[in-house]
Amino acid sequence: MLELRELIKSYPSVSGETVSALDGVSLTLGEGEFLALYGPSGSGKTTLLMLIAALLSPDSGVVAVNGRELLELGEREAADYRLRELGFVRQSLELIPGVSAIENAALKLLACERGMKAARKELSPLFERLGIAERSEHLSEQLSAGERQRVAIARALSTGPRLLLADEPTGSLDSERGAQVLELLRELCRERSVTLLLVTHDERAVSYADRALELRDGKLIRRASSAHSIGMAPEEPA
Amino acid sequence: MKIANLIHLYRVRLRARLVGELFALAGVAVGVALLFSSQVAQESLSGSVRALQQGIAGKARYELVARGPQGFTEAVTKQVRHAAAVAQAAPVLETSANVQGPSGQRPVDLIGADSRIIALGGSLLRHVSAAQLEGAAALALPAPIANATGISLYGTFTLQVAGRNFEGFLGKRLDSSDVGDLTDSPIAIAPLFYVRQLTGFAGRASRLLVEPQPGRDREAHRELERLAAGRFDVRDADFEAGLVDQAALATNESTELFSGICALVGFLFAFNAIRMTLSHRRRLIDDLRLDGYSPRALIQILLLDALILGVLSSILGLALGEALSNRLFGASADYLSLAFPIGSQRVIGWQSIPIAVVGGLLVTFLSVLAPFRELYGGRLGMSLPSRIGGRGNRGSWMVASGVALTVISTLMVLVDPAVAVIATGILTVALLLLLPSLIRLSLLALAWLGRDVKKPALLLALIELRSTVTRSRSVAVAATGAIAVFSTVAIEGARTNLQAGLNQTTHGLTDVAGVWVTPRGSGSLGAVTPLHPIDLAPLERLPGVRAVRVYRSGLLDWGERRLWVIAPPRQATDPIPAGELLEGNLAQARRLLRGSGWVVLSRTVAEEHHLHLGQSFTLPSPTPRSFRLAALSTNIDWPPGAIVMNAEDYARAWSTDEPSAYNVILDRGASAARVSREVRGALSGQSGLVVQTARQRERRLLVVVSQAVSRVAQIALLVVIAAVLSMCVAMSDLLWQRRARLAAMKVDGLRESVLWRALLAESALLLGCGATIGALFGLYAQPLLGYALANVTGFPVVFYLRVALALELTALVGAVAVAILAIPGRIAARVSPRLSLGE
Repeated sequence: MLELRELIKSYPSVSGETVSALDGVSLTLGEGEFLALYGPSGSGKTTLLMLIAALLSPDSGVVAVNGRELLELGEREAADYRLRELGFVRQSLELIPGVSAIENAALKLLACERGMKAARKELSPLFERLGIAERSEHLSEQLSAGERQRVAIARALSTGPRLLLADEPTGSLDSERGAQVLELLRELCRERSVTLLLVTHDERAVSYADRALELRDGKLIRRASSAHSIGMAPEEPA
Repeated sequence: MKIANLIHLYRVRLRARLVGELFALAGVAVGVALLFSSQVAQESLSGSVRALQQGIAGKARYELVARGPQGFTEAVTKQVRHAAAVAQAAPVLETSANVQGPSGQRPVDLIGADSRIIALGGSLLRHVSAAQLEGAAALALPAPIANATGISLYGTFTLQVAGRNFEGFLGKRLDSSDVGDLTDSPIAIAPLFYVRQLTGFAGRASRLLVEPQPGRDREAHRELERLAAGRFDVRDADFEAGLVDQAALATNESTELFSGICALVGFLFAFNAIRMTLSHRRRLIDDLRLDGYSPRALIQILLLDALILGVLSSILGLALGEALSNRLFGASADYLSLAFPIGSQRVIGWQSIPIAVVGGLLVTFLSVLAPFRELYGGRLGMSLPSRIGGRGNRGSWMVASGVALTVISTLMVLVDPAVAVIATGILTVALLLLLPSLIRLSLLALAWLGRDVKKPALLLALIELRSTVTRSRSVAVAATGAIAVFSTVAIEGARTNLQAGLNQTTHGLTDVAGVWVTPRGSGSLGAVTPLHPIDLAPLERLPGVRAVRVYRSGLLDWGERRLWVIAPPRQATDPIPAGELLEGNLAQARRLLRGSGWVVLSRTVAEEHHLHLGQSFTLPSPTPRSFRLAALSTNIDWPPGAIVMNAEDYARAWSTDEPSAYNVILDRGASAARVSREVRGALSGQSGLVVQTARQRERRLLVVVSQAVSRVAQIALLVVIAAVLSMCVAMSDLLWQRRARLAAMKVDGLRESVLWRALLAESALLLGCGATIGALFGLYAQPLLGYALANVTGFPVVFYLRVALALELTALVGAVAVAILAIPGRIAARVSPRLSLGE
């Protein structure tokens, strides 16, 4: 499903030196797999997500989704890839205030020329599954942080992507609500065979994943089959 | 806080927000400029005449004025000079003339005075010696007129007086170093004896300037009244300026209204521009509060911000306003030059600068202090956009008040048209109160209409327009457009109706003859200057000429008005143009005018003197005569009003046999152009006369009378420009602040082109809504204003609802604003998606 080969990405620093964000990262994810990528701030997690979302080009290496190399995509095709094949859940979604939850979740569907009526119809079961059906007509500012995050998940999954990227999705939630969101993400991806790549600096989030990796200074330095292995003796990446 | 610390803090913060502050500076400056320039334009009109009168009259307190061009004799002057309470009395003879030099010609007010005037100390004559006023037959001309006509000092030129040519000699140039701003006055000064020679009024004067003995003003006035004995008028020396004020009333009223609207739009622009800097100020306050700054210190910081911004923008605004009033409003009162020596100088009244500056400072302080108000419970001030964005109970209250004010304004105009300006102001307030609800309703309607739309850009736009964060600002943007379109549709519509009326009247006035023969100069347009009679026999023998008739016309000061007296030949078929009659029967009025002792009077004048149809009254003409009122008319193109009588009645009432013009009546089928060439050839020795076909004269007259309403059109244009700028600034800011959300949408796969189209669609829908609501209100106000204009000004108004104008303006404002917004929209849509990922 997702293949990263020898990815290198560096940025020029203010002092003129080059700072390495990713240094030879290789990774393969199968269909429906849930990988947690653990790492502290500045470890290169977000850069990796941007490369997978075709928002950034690597200095060298390959990013391939379903066998298609993203580097070959033009701007229009990259946008289309993000719209239809990729879902992206962020720490906090910029919901439009004064607009209902379901309309906020419909933005990706609208871009697919669905029309609001059709979008509501398509989102309805997803809202039901996310447990926010009764809140669908509430304005975004009337939602709790957990509900807002569920709206974000609904928007990300609305176009039926095969790959879901989640960037600190529980960063703004308390531990109980965070756990609920992670559980939901895991179940939804499993039900829909969606590959999920979750980046986090929260060690607890790792326990929900099928597999976990740690990214430090641009390198994958540790691998674990689950969160339980974190804290154990480090393993070298494949 | 210490001032030095406040200034230091201001300086270090300025670097980070320079662009925003510059926008705010420009915004307030535009508001101040619009307010200032429209005020100056208004004051300059009567101000230039007042300055000229003071420049001539000096210490004179009163003047004795003749009612006809022949004036009064030297014997009257002697009697006044010998009156016990009179200290000084100086005779003046004034007439219209035309100065023709090698490079052009200029109409002037020819002022004849002798050495006695020097004792009055008027600034215009301060640098003219007694010898110059008593000696040579020479003229003094203001330097701009001498330059424009190419007349050099001690050079000769052609002086045209009363239809005759004379050789003039320039003995003195009046520079600004000599006479200040009066150098911009359209005048020529000559010795009294010389002007008497030129006009043929030997030993006569048209007015006598009188300085009373110290402390004996009232006594002097009584003596003058006694000597005048009803034959002449006794009035204050600055009375002329009052007549100009009255003549310019219609123009000034509409200017006042537009000044207000102009300032409102200008300050909405300023407010929108300052809002751009508010997010920075909010952050600053948050940071400083965390650092332990007291509310007092925070207020000091914001006050300094407001003070610096307000002062700098007021200075810039005054400079900009000065340029605007100079270039745009410069020569808009030529129509009054038919009866007054209107100069081109700009007179800045004492109140113009404080009004503009206070307005600028007020909007700056209210806007800059807005974040403090939000933080500390809204006790410090109020802001229009936030007020008009109100909801709930306040929203219902605003709608109820808006409807009530709309009804009140309508009733006010219907009951008393004189309060039209106030009523239109109230209607503007009503519009402001109703706007938020109307805009919200419109957006809801749009959302309902768009429920089946599948175009992503349009759907996104409709969703964004409902966002609460931007709603109050969206309403403010739409409100700006609505006010601009409302005022422009209302006033431009009324102006267009007025213009149509003027066109109709001008056609009727000139159509009494196929060809006109008039003296040169500005007076020839109204044909108010008497000319020396010519032998008509050669003209009457020309092919195509059926008859040549004497046309008379003049000006008459009656009460506070300088009336235009129109006296076509008795035989004229249509002495009163069709469409001018407001009361009375047209056929009967025309028949009566062909008889003797009947007049048609402007309704405003008749009402002022409580006259009704058929009533007999004494006209205060040079030889007061009794007339009867045949009908009531409009003011026939002349704001103060008009009197129509036949030329023979005029000759009796003015004790003159001099014509003002000749009407050449053509044979049926004769070509006016050919006959005018023939007449010109026959008059070859009389180049002081102008020969024009009726159509040529109509076009020339129309250009001048249209200036009575031209300033309104100029200000309307300014309002639209200010509104478009204001909307663009506010919308640009709205779009810019949305970049984080746009970046997130890009991460979700929405393409840049879709986002750009969505932003444009949002702008178009919002501005379109505002402009449409404004246009609807404008259409509602058009008949109100038209009705009021017709009643208050007495102008002939042709009523049409100018729907096309409303549509054009709505489309224009929307299209221009969206076209301008395409650039910031594009920049905002190009935001990097990484912005939403905190990179």
